[in-house]
Amino acid sequence: MKLRINGGQQEVEGADPDTPLLWVLRDHLGMLGAKYGCGIGQCGACTVLIDGEPTPSCLIRAADVGDAHIETIEGLAGDDGLHPVQQAWIDEQVPQCGYCQSGQILTAVALLRNNPQPSRDEIDRKMSAVLCRCGSYPRILKAIAKLSEE
Amino acid sequence: MNRAQAFHPDRRRFLKATAAVAGGALLIGINWSRGVEAAEQEADGSEDFQPNAWVALHADGRVEITVAESEMGQGPYTLMPMLVAEELEVPWSSISVLRAGVDPVYGFQLTGGSTSIKKGWVLLREAGAIARQLLLMAAARQWGIAPERCRARDGQVFDDSGRSIAYTRLVGLAASLPMPDKAWLKPPEDFHVIGQPLPRTDVPQKVTGQAVYGIDVRRPGQLFATVVHPPVFGGRLRAFDDTGARESPAVVDVFAIDQGVAVVARDTWSAFKAAQRLSIDWDPGERSGFRSQDWEDRLRGYDARPPSREHVRGTPEAVTGDRIEAEYLQPFQAHMTLEPMNCCVHFDDGKLRIWAPTQSPSLAYGSAKRLTQNRIERGWHKLLNKVFGGYDDSIEVNTTLLGGGFGRRLEQDYVEEAIQIAARFEVPVQLVWTREQDVRNDFYHPMTYHRMAAELDAQGMPRLWLHDIAGGGVSSWGARHDYAIPHQRIRSYDFEPPIPKGPWRSVAPHFNVFAVEHFIDELARQAGHDPLDYRLQLLPDGRLKRCLLRLAERVKADGLNKNERIGYAAASTFDSHVAEAVVLRDLGTGRYRVDRVYCVIDCGIVINPDIVRQQMESSIVYGLTAATLTEITVENGQVQQSNFHDVPALRLHQLPEIFVDIVDSTQKPGGLGEPGVPPLAPALANAWLASTGKPLRRLPLRLS
Ligand code: FES
Ligand code: FES
Repeated sequence: MKLRINGGQQEVEGADPDTPLLWVLRDHLGMLGAKYGCGIGQCGACTVLIDGEPTPSCLIRAADVGDAHIETIEGLAGDDGLHPVQQAWIDEQVPQCGYCQSGQILTAVALLRNNPQPSRDEIDRKMSAVLCRCGSYPRILKAIAKLSEE
Repeated sequence: MNRAQAFHPDRRRFLKATAAVAGGALLIGINWSRGVEAAEQEADGSEDFQPNAWVALHADGRVEITVAESEMGQGPYTLMPMLVAEELEVPWSSISVLRAGVDPVYGFQLTGGSTSIKKGWVLLREAGAIARQLLLMAAARQWGIAPERCRARDGQVFDDSGRSIAYTRLVGLAASLPMPDKAWLKPPEDFHVIGQPLPRTDVPQKVTGQAVYGIDVRRPGQLFATVVHPPVFGGRLRAFDDTGARESPAVVDVFAIDQGVAVVARDTWSAFKAAQRLSIDWDPGERSGFRSQDWEDRLRGYDARPPSREHVRGTPEAVTGDRIEAEYLQPFQAHMTLEPMNCCVHFDDGKLRIWAPTQSPSLAYGSAKRLTQNRIERGWHKLLNKVFGGYDDSIEVNTTLLGGGFGRRLEQDYVEEAIQIAARFEVPVQLVWTREQDVRNDFYHPMTYHRMAAELDAQGMPRLWLHDIAGGGVSSWGARHDYAIPHQRIRSYDFEPPIPKGPWRSVAPHFNVFAVEHFIDELARQAGHDPLDYRLQLLPDGRLKRCLLRLAERVKADGLNKNERIGYAAASTFDSHVAEAVVLRDLGTGRYRVDRVYCVIDCGIVINPDIVRQQMESSIVYGLTAATLTEITVENGQVQQSNFHDVPALRLHQLPEIFVDIVDSTQKPGGLGEPGVPPLAPALANAWLASTGKPLRRLPLRLS
């Protein structure tokens, strides 16, 4: 099986064809940024972007991704440094334990790509897909507000 | 330096050494586990000194600090080094943090229990001050002047003529000097690190996906495991059929361990999938009839037995008038750390290596030692010999970052399971629980029943206060309030926990402060008083009252809309003082929304205001989740909930606006991670009472 991840091609061998993308990334490709939190699409810790759409990678079989393009937290920073969303996350000191943050950041990236000035309603709808047990939400809102002013 | 505070370095707490690394380094070893209280209690200083935290100043100017506390979001990897940087007078950018116990060069052996900012406040500042004193002495010697003429700042020593020399050129000499007899802590007015909102050291790795949690540990040749536990508390394994589970070529082994059935595979998913295909015959055991509803009924009849503890003030039995009564119930709660329980273990040629996201490496170490000595020695004679030969360093505990803790990871059950599983292999094995196993095998916040009674005087102020607390594993911690009520009796009825019970963020104050603070509002209402004035009248002057006054001012400045009601609550816990107010908005048609939460905290001297603020935001969200969304119920010995769909967590769209004010203080630092939790639920209940006229007898309060 071949996967298109962060602009490159990755070959996956020996994975059970039922394996969700999350576990292919983590256990077969050693990409550990996407996290396991629930396995049922409830927590968003495993979120990756598939053709730009935030998707819980625990719910989709890797075999079903086909040649859609997968973006993970590992591919977000470029040669010229951090992605603006990552930088805003540092500036606003968003993470606490940090476990949910790959999912939060990728979801915010998709939100802002779609609409650089999202309404509060839109932010609520999109960002509520990823839960944070540490309560980093007030800072997520601040970081997004700051990004949409730029 | 005349305002500085002199101290004599305690040789039972500090050790100076020279590290055998290139160029030499100045090392101050700290016996963190001994801690402040223990060191003061033990008169005998002859025991072996076992440093388990270090401040290392390298010849190139880098400062490394090992932190003996787990980072689960509450900021020790930032707060602890700030204390050192302040006293050592080094640029913040030169400091890096290591987790204690990771570096084998130091031969760490973790023996410490839970640590706190209070301990660090003394030990780390003293360690920094000792290192600074050594550098001053080294500079003085170099210049041939008295050390009193030298001053340190920004990685350099200056003398009174304006000469300067960099630390990097003094490290070798300083490391060769004996431990100074005397050193000085800076006076607070000279602080330029403490009190600053410095960015957290752990944040950059947490935005790039590079941070390593327990679940991210990867060792060469590693296998992946999961465990199926009995579905019923106290259940036991009778037999299992693993034919279906073994069909997958990725499954390596399936076997019974004390706690259930373990599946080991080549990847996590294969282990999860195989676990689902096991057919297991469980002996349900004696608690298979247990229902949380029955337990609730049993708690209501708590006083059929004598209390476990009683606190009396005045002569409550002599007060016999009309009483106002109330009863409250708090449900079982799970911790729901976002990272489920996991642990990686490698029996590595006579060494037992553990990687765990644990709140207490010392407990993990203890578990490992006990297990390897008593239970699994047979396959591991090499290790056995080592253990009986007294080589305790055959056990190595590496603490990773924690994806949340909240008290759950003080228990070491998952570490013990991982040890049992890995004992069968020569390669590392990582145990990961499914979320379902995590929800159903927690150490829960206890269900608590509170019976309150009070009698009011002619002015409507309480003169009698009775509070009985009943539950499995409860105490009256947090029930003993500061209100000036002449006659009081607080009794706790501590039952054997019917299901596993553990510390849950803010522990007993979470349930006791709820009862106290909601009942105060009920009394105020009965007496026809404004609940805020009522509280202020009852509270003695002091830090908590000042928080409440400041909160009231803040709320007044913002005002309330017509469809909004407010509730207040305040409590002093974990050496901090917190007042909170919840604004509940009536959305019509019986629906309400928590619109705003105000918080004022006095946590003593503020080390990092941004982390204080963050911990308050965190506590409010955590408290609000429990108060409005979740409970754990048990039927036939089985937890009814299993994942985030039925134990939800507050999501971003449900977030109220949160306003945090921090009181300036020069008092000793208090706790941060927990004191913000207890006032939240009663403030919400009081807002509910104000909105609807109805008290909240039972949590959670489902708002829509
Ligand atoms: S792990 Fe995929 S949504 Fe929770
Ligand atoms: S930062 Fe801990 S779960 Fe979000």
